Amino acid sequence: MVGMMTASLINSAKLALDVPSKLEHLRQLKEDLLHEGPVLLSQFLPRILDLHTDRLSPVRKFIAQMIGEIGSKHLDLLPEIIPVLISLLKDGTPAVARQAITCAIDLFRCTLEKVAIQGLYSSELDVSLESSWEWMLKFKDKIYSIAFQPGSDGRRLLALKFVESVILLYTPDPNGSSDPPSNQPSEGKFVEFNISWLRGGHPVLNVGDLSIQASQSLGLLLDQLRFPTVKSISNSMIIVLINSLSVIARKRPSFYGRILPVLLGLDPSSSVIEGVHISGAHHALRNAFLSCLKCTHPGAAPWRDRLVDALNEMKVGGLAEQALREVCKINGSVLEGKDDSSIVKEEKPSVKSCDAVHVTLGRKRSGVHDIGDLVEDDDVSGKRVRTASTVAEEPSKESSRDLTSVQNVSPIGLKSSRGDEDTGPVQQLVAMFGALVAQGEKAVGSLGILISSISTDLLAEVVMANMRHIPPERPKDEGEEESLLNMGSNASTVGSDTQAKRLPPFLARFPQIVALLDAQQSASNDIVKSQGEEEHHVATVADSDLACGDMDCGTEQGMDSAGVPISSNVLPSAIENFSATSYEIHDVGNLESIPGLDSTAHDDRFVETLAASSLASADLEEGSQEQVTSLGRRSQLDLLPSMSTDRSEELSPKSSLTDANSIISSTETSAGLSSQFVLPKLLAPVIDLTDEQKDLIQKLAYARIVDAYKQIAVAGGSHVRFSLLAYLGVQFPLELDPWEDLKQHIMSDYLNHEGHELTLRALYRLYGEAEEERDFFSSTNATSVYDMFLLTVAETLRDSFPASDKSLSRLLAEVPYLPKSVFKLLDCLCSPGNSSKDEKELLSGDRVTQGLSAVWNLILLRPPIRDACLKIALQSAVHHSEEVRMKAIRLVANKLYPLSSVAQQIEDFANEMLLSVINGAHATDRTETEGSSTELQKDSNLEKSSDEHSSGSAIAKEIASDTQQSCTSQTISSSSISEAQRCMSLYFALCTKKHSLFRQIFVIYKSTSKAVKQAVHRHIPILVRTIGSSPELLEIISDPPPGSKNLLTQVLRTLTDGAVPSPELIFTIRKLYDSKVKDIEILIPILSFLPKDEVFLIFPHLVNLPLEKFQAILVHTLQGSSHSGPVLTPAEVLIAIHGIDPDRDGIPLKKVTDACNTCFEQRQIFTQQVLAKVLNQLVEQIPLPLLFMRTVLQAIGAFPALVEFIMEILSRLVSKQIWKYPKLWVGFLKCALLTKPQSFSVLLQLPPAQLENALNRTAALKAPLVAHAIQPNIRSSLPKSVLVVLGITPDSQTSSQTQTTQAQIAPPQTGDTTNLDKEVVTEKAKESSSAS
Amino acid sequence: MVCSSNQNRSMEAHSLLKKQGFDVSSYGTGAHVKLPGPSLREPNVYEFGTPYKHMFDDLRRKDPDLYKRNGILPMLKRNSSVKTAPQRWQDNAADGPFDVVFTFEEKVFDMVVEDLHNRDHVLMKTVLVINLEVKDNHEEAAIGARLALDLCQEIEATESWEDSVDDVVSGFEKQHRRKLLYSISFY
Repeated sequence: MVGMMTASLINSAKLALDVPSKLEHLRQLKEDLLHEGPVLLSQFLPRILDLHTDRLSPVRKFIAQMIGEIGSKHLDLLPEIIPVLISLLKDGTPAVARQAITCAIDLFRCTLEKVAIQGLYSSELDVSLESSWEWMLKFKDKIYSIAFQPGSDGRRLLALKFVESVILLYTPDPNGSSDPPSNQPSEGKFVEFNISWLRGGHPVLNVGDLSIQASQSLGLLLDQLRFPTVKSISNSMIIVLINSLSVIARKRPSFYGRILPVLLGLDPSSSVIEGVHISGAHHALRNAFLSCLKCTHPGAAPWRDRLVDALNEMKVGGLAEQALREVCKINGSVLEGKDDSSIVKEEKPSVKSCDAVHVTLGRKRSGVHDIGDLVEDDDVSGKRVRTASTVAEEPSKESSRDLTSVQNVSPIGLKSSRGDEDTGPVQQLVAMFGALVAQGEKAVGSLGILISSISTDLLAEVVMANMRHIPPERPKDEGEEESLLNMGSNASTVGSDTQAKRLPPFLARFPQIVALLDAQQSASNDIVKSQGEEEHHVATVADSDLACGDMDCGTEQGMDSAGVPISSNVLPSAIENFSATSYEIHDVGNLESIPGLDSTAHDDRFVETLAASSLASADLEEGSQEQVTSLGRRSQLDLLPSMSTDRSEELSPKSSLTDANSIISSTETSAGLSSQFVLPKLLAPVIDLTDEQKDLIQKLAYARIVDAYKQIAVAGGSHVRFSLLAYLGVQFPLELDPWEDLKQHIMSDYLNHEGHELTLRALYRLYGEAEEERDFFSSTNATSVYDMFLLTVAETLRDSFPASDKSLSRLLAEVPYLPKSVFKLLDCLCSPGNSSKDEKELLSGDRVTQGLSAVWNLILLRPPIRDACLKIALQSAVHHSEEVRMKAIRLVANKLYPLSSVAQQIEDFANEMLLSVINGAHATDRTETEGSSTELQKDSNLEKSSDEHSSGSAIAKEIASDTQQSCTSQTISSSSISEAQRCMSLYFALCTKKHSLFRQIFVIYKSTSKAVKQAVHRHIPILVRTIGSSPELLEIISDPPPGSKNLLTQVLRTLTDGAVPSPELIFTIRKLYDSKVKDIEILIPILSFLPKDEVFLIFPHLVNLPLEKFQAILVHTLQGSSHSGPVLTPAEVLIAIHGIDPDRDGIPLKKVTDACNTCFEQRQIFTQQVLAKVLNQLVEQIPLPLLFMRTVLQAIGAFPALVEFIMEILSRLVSKQIWKYPKLWVGFLKCALLTKPQSFSVLLQLPPAQLENALNRTAALKAPLVAHAIQPNIRSSLPKSVLVVLGITPDSQTSSQTQTTQAQIAPPQTGDTTNLDKEVVTEKAKESSSAS
Repeated sequence: MVCSSNQNRSMEAHSLLKKQGFDVSSYGTGAHVKLPGPSLREPNVYEFGTPYKHMFDDLRRKDPDLYKRNGILPMLKRNSSVKTAPQRWQDNAADGPFDVVFTFEEKVFDMVVEDLHNRDHVLMKTVLVINLEVKDNHEEAAIGARLALDLCQEIEATESWEDSVDDVVSGFEKQHRRKLLYSISFY
């Protein structure tokens, strides 16, 4: 029935068309089959196998998986299954092939296990099993060929994995049991298979052969990574290979020697495929190294140094250290166990020795493969075995002696590390040893030669020197301490000899050398003549080896079956020795660390113990790693030094600790005389501290270290240690706030403590921390510490140093980056009073300079933050305090503006501020209240709000401007002017640098408020004087924006004030006057530089100006500038005034008369002589100037002494028929009246008609004139007609005639006459004159 | 998708890939789930497995303004819509096997690779571990998630990534100018 169902399932699986349904059928089929007996299976297997040619790849894959599982359960079916799998290996779909390989890994293990175990119990194998095994081997070969030949990576990756598993299966697992499990093989999975279960005489398997095969496979794997091949494989392959090899190395430490050289030699960059993937391989390599480093197996130990080196090269030294430390801890505890057991008479040595032997086995075997000359080595070690066995005696005692010797070595090591560093040849030798050892087994021969060729003393030196490079460690367990105590007491009993004692650590470090060295010694005992001590030592080594117990029989078997005659003693002994040494290393670490710490407190000793102190701090830092396991120990460590220093100062031991303490001090002084007793005691007190106490102690320790730097500063060489301090700070737990201490240290004496350097180190360290840690938490943490640190230092620098000090700006220029808080600080510095008023006193002008120069520095040196710094500077440039502002403006305009990179920004800002003045004008009150706040935002806000106002409520604006206008100079308070100045100063300063900017001021001028205008006018003289008449300015002048006339005038005035304007300027102004601005005012400033005729030309316009302006011009023209003589003489001026024809020139007569008056007011200029001269000239003019008589009258008024002269003029007028000019005629009569009686003679010169007219007009003249004329001498000279007119000889005719004329003439007599009137009058006058 | 706290970067990617129909899980490798707190010294620390909802309520109770402002609350809300609680990578070895593991930080990458390395390789199934460096903030996480999606789609498009991972990776690096780190491990 079941069979039927199965068959139908197979059929439906075969027939189903789509993948899911097929797989579903197959899955069910698998379920069924696995639960059924082998009979059914063997019946259906062929049909299932048929399916492997299915066209759907998922099906094929599933089939592969299925038969794999079937195979692992029923190994007897393998001969049928494997061929199918082999064919699937070549499947076109990689996934199928991969599945096949995956099955192979499983199957291979199962088969091998079964074969091995069956062989253990019987000498014959099943036929079926044997054929299965054969098939399996074939399968294996196929996969190998895939793994090592170029092809699809997907397949190769798994094939490599297969090779890895084969290697692991073929080699003994050092951690597994060498006894086969007692359970029956069917439960094989229960325990990991271990090839060391195999015993000799297995029908099929031979451990030796298998090992050789494994080794060959490994060789193949390694070859892939060697140079030419590595180039041709893909990166993923490299990664998998590296991973596989590291797994093998880890699980089979015996292969270290083969795998690591290849890995270490693998330079990922040589395997670059497309230049982008190195990181992957690199990373894998790094991980591989790290995991190898963490391996605790003794066989791995020799490689540690090189691994650390390699890791350091890869810049992951920190990780390496950590790994190493972990390893050491583990080692320490393991070793402790070992030591214990050896002292307690070796009760359970089996595991250990077994390990050791495996290592030997592995190494020797690989040696055989790799280097032929190891045969020699083998011989030698054979000898060694004999030597060793002969000296065997009293195991326990010997082992303890061994340990004792180790004990004694430690102080020596200490001494060497403390003492002089360069011992010349010794150092060189150490380096040579290191180099040789690094080459691995290849260098064994030469190493041997080297050792044999140097003297024992020198060798001892080398050992001592080497001690220094042993990493500091510390013991782990209390049990260990006890054992130490025991040993210590033993040690005192054993007579010590340095020669023997110095050797073990060295030997322990280089196990291979041990073998060689020993061999050498034993082979040529007499030649070397190194006394019995050598032998004694050899005995020690051998003994300790023997102390481990008898050789495990399993191991012996293994060796036998391998067929290689190896002395298993040699290396185990070395290893044993090593364990002892590494134990001793702990002590050294301790010892070193404690005096080191001590010395940080003891000032005088500090300089000498440089190395020690650095080690000490390294230790401390380890301690601060906060590893829970080592908490107690750390605190103890920390406690000791701190206590000791406290006490040693007092020199009065009190507490229980003082014993240890005094011993410590004795250790320092007497360089380890008694240290072998000290060591155990040192570790004795274990005090549990509360967390607070621990914190306190850590803090104290840090404070102490920081304190010690004060001495360093004196001693010099501090640059080495700065980084250390910063690093310490980072490692310190945050709660304790180590930075505070550091800060205080820096602040306390910035200069002497090289605070700058130290701060920079600390900051860079923090910065690195902040950048590196990518998780939210720690990076933000570091950032905040960074911020605080920098800020505090900067503030202190600001407050405690004179303003001229450059430290602050230097610091800011060199730190990794500037946080916001620092910008704020700078801002406060540059714009004092913004944040807090009370700081004002503190921040004097010098501080501003300091801040500004810092900002300048930053702008120059740190382009990324240029904008922010610029903002600060600009903000300062519109500061309300003029002192600050001018400083900032000087910086911005003189230093920053020339930088092309920021020029535009500066310009924009200045422009913005300038515009804000216009827009903000109507909001004067607001700007006043906010005047003190100069933050950019506020300004922009202001601008915005004012924009809103202007657009939104035009009415409001009007009102505002109205009010502004209505309230006159009072509202234009000084504050609003200064506010305007505040905003504009910068722009003006820029104008001096870039003259074309000036135009903007002209443009906005029109729309500015009075206050602003006033501010502008205040600025202009300075500005224009600086600029001079540059082409740009001329251009502006030649085309001034509308509404800027006043400004323009001021500019021109300034330009011409005290300097001769250039011809260009004059030309420009005239052109401007001619073409655009008809306003005469612009010409005023250059009047004195214009040619005379031009001045005359424009003179009427000048007269037309408001009186006060004319007055000014008058002075100007008459005095001239300092560089040029007067433009016009006073006479010329007056004549020019008189030359003005109100009608022709369109100038009101009033203006002209005013001008005249103005002239007369200045009597010291317009003197009598001048007037006379003018009148003389004027009287010659035809026609006579309109105002002539007026001027004559004024002249008489001003200078009565001129009367005679005037008379002359009058008589000339008479001859010129003055009566023909009615207006002048009136003036003439007036003048005559005024100047009577002198004028009588002139009057009498008038023709009778005119005389009559005159007398009629001015009746007041008649009587005196008649009286004058009656005088006989005069009367006689007068013609009769005149006498008639005078009434002396009456004539009615003429009188009536005269009356008519008078009546006709009368009207024009009144005031100003029109043109028409004048003409009429003139005609009449002509008539009358012709009539007479 | 793996990051350190299974909050921001991995969840951003998880959320996105889930929307795109990928079979996706997300984990953190840290010891605890750490969220920024009111000050640097007082982070909010939760155990893995604490439901996002719980954290959300907790933080909302503490200071709704602060956590809303720094985007923690929205993030937690998003997270709780994706899955219940943050999971720790190392504690969830039973999940999977995955085809591709994405990490967003080298430290996390190392931990994942090492963890995979230390597991027993039984299935012998290859797994690709890719590290895409993404800064731990909301904006970068969003960018990182999109890149991760891109890359996933590219990998998905290949028949077998084992054969072409180098090409895919280098193509991606060239296109997006981001460095990738990858490793191959086995289940």
